[in-house]
Amino acid sequence: MAKQIVVCLKQVPDNTKLRPETLTAMPTHGVDMMMNPFDEYALETALRLKEAAGEGSTVTLLTVGHESAKNVLKKAIAAGADAGFIVDGNDVPAGDGLATAGVLASAVTALVPEASVVVCGTSALDVSGGMVPAMMAEKLGWASLTQCKEVTLNGETLSAKRVSELGVETHAITGNAVLAMMKCDYELRSSNIKGVMKANKTQLPIKTLADIGATVTAGITTKQLAQRPEKGDGKVIEASNGTTDAAVDELVAFLKAQKLV
Amino acid sequence: MSNVWIVIEAAAGRCTKAYLELVAPAQTVASALGASVQALVLASNDADATSAADALGQQGVGAVATVTDAALGQYAPQTYADAVAQAIQAKSPAAVLFYGGPTASDYAPRVAAKLNVGLVSNASDITVDGGKLTITKACLAESMLLTQAIATDGVQLATIRPKAFDIADGVAAATPAVEAIAVTLTPSATSLTSVEATKVEGISLEEADVVVSGGRGLQAPENFNLVEELAGALHGAVGASRAVVDAGWRPHSEQVGQTGKTVSPKLYVALGISGAIQHLVGMRTSDTIVAINRDAEAPIFKTADFGLVGDAFDIVPKLMEKLKN
Repeated sequence: MAKQIVVCLKQVPDNTKLRPETLTAMPTHGVDMMMNPFDEYALETALRLKEAAGEGSTVTLLTVGHESAKNVLKKAIAAGADAGFIVDGNDVPAGDGLATAGVLASAVTALVPEASVVVCGTSALDVSGGMVPAMMAEKLGWASLTQCKEVTLNGETLSAKRVSELGVETHAITGNAVLAMMKCDYELRSSNIKGVMKANKTQLPIKTLADIGATVTAGITTKQLAQRPEKGDGKVIEASNGTTDAAVDELVAFLKAQKLV
Repeated sequence: MSNVWIVIEAAAGRCTKAYLELVAPAQTVASALGASVQALVLASNDADATSAADALGQQGVGAVATVTDAALGQYAPQTYADAVAQAIQAKSPAAVLFYGGPTASDYAPRVAAKLNVGLVSNASDITVDGGKLTITKACLAESMLLTQAIATDGVQLATIRPKAFDIADGVAAATPAVEAIAVTLTPSATSLTSVEATKVEGISLEEADVVVSGGRGLQAPENFNLVEELAGALHGAVGASRAVVDAGWRPHSEQVGQTGKTVSPKLYVALGISGAIQHLVGMRTSDTIVAINRDAEAPIFKTADFGLVGDAFDIVPKLMEKLKN
């Protein structure tokens, strides 16, 4: 049976281009941004579920944040998603999982009322809260599983593999669910020119909190974003040809001095 | 006097000794709030509850509350969240600390949403400021530190990052007073159908004191025996860079980095790993980092405490020989 699937995406700073020394608050836009890495796995998982569920199934994207997040949504539409909405994040405290989850739950109910599956990344690399998917599920009254590496649809039944202390757990799921993905054995498919053209034509409406009937409950207060204390310069020595033995001796002495061996 | 709870998931072998890391931060929070530390043990039978209480007593925890229900025998986030939320409503603890491994990270957010209270997660440090739990955590892929505080009234929830706190040595043992909390659990919409164990030789990557990782510089999958042998000699676990996991040399369960595991051992040894930022985010908080790489310009040397520019195939056998003596 056709399934209406929602993917929650977040644009996060591209950490390979980030200059921590320039930051005093968590950037939500205005620096090089990218799709949160785990969200790419969520999107690919959703596209696979859509194919498995068959004709009439859709993937709708939701993000809470700045309007510039449209770039991330376009990338996802180019890859095969059908529609997307940006919920204006101006009045949602950045990095507050409880507030964000409440807003996203309202957005699912208001904008994709037929949705039965929500797929998210298990955490975002900016705040690393890792709490939005399960909180959202609780607000919706749905099942949840996080840290998943695979979700499959067999007939009407969803099952998910998640990674825990014990190994890889397989869970069977009844009814509606929020599933949060970590790294999977598959990567996000690349988009073709047709997809890119569709993405350029697709409207990405911006919704206010009032539009979706959301209220904000602040769960946390963000106090400070700080540099990590500098680590002293390490020692790097040559260990090739004639110097290998002496260098290894020096390493052993270092390890012994640190009481590591 | 109110309590600060540490939550121990004692059913089905889920909690490990590492959960005792919760004791130290709980004591910090309890003394700031004028409260006492009490463990909340979740178990599926009385034997598991008793053995968890004994282990906690050995670590000086003098008070234990238990929720024992057969439904806790199979992990389901809705069931676990329901059990903890009902226990909180019954006893009104001031704060609840969870071990931030894959289990509590999965269900603790549901507890917070159910009670409509804030949760701070993955704390590597915790204090109390103005009566509110205040944590410091790694953010932006481990590159910076974020300070957050609970903003809601009522019970305050936090998950504690594994290996952020030490288990105290030489603590006087206590015989815990045990109280049972009754809950009524409803069936969950998820059911655990199977578990495929992925642990090798009993040392998990996240808990190991020593991690030896290999990367593309090792040239071929069979050369990972170098990594395995050094890990064996140092009683450590084996890790891998994304490049070799993507190449199919090693399983994803060994991947250290942005889309893999974050480790923080006492000693991290990188063999033939260049040190892309995506790898560094998974290991930069290790106490001591040793890097061996042929390329003197490899970025890993900027993060290393001790670097050897040379061939791992020459260096590692010599290192193992000298360590033996």
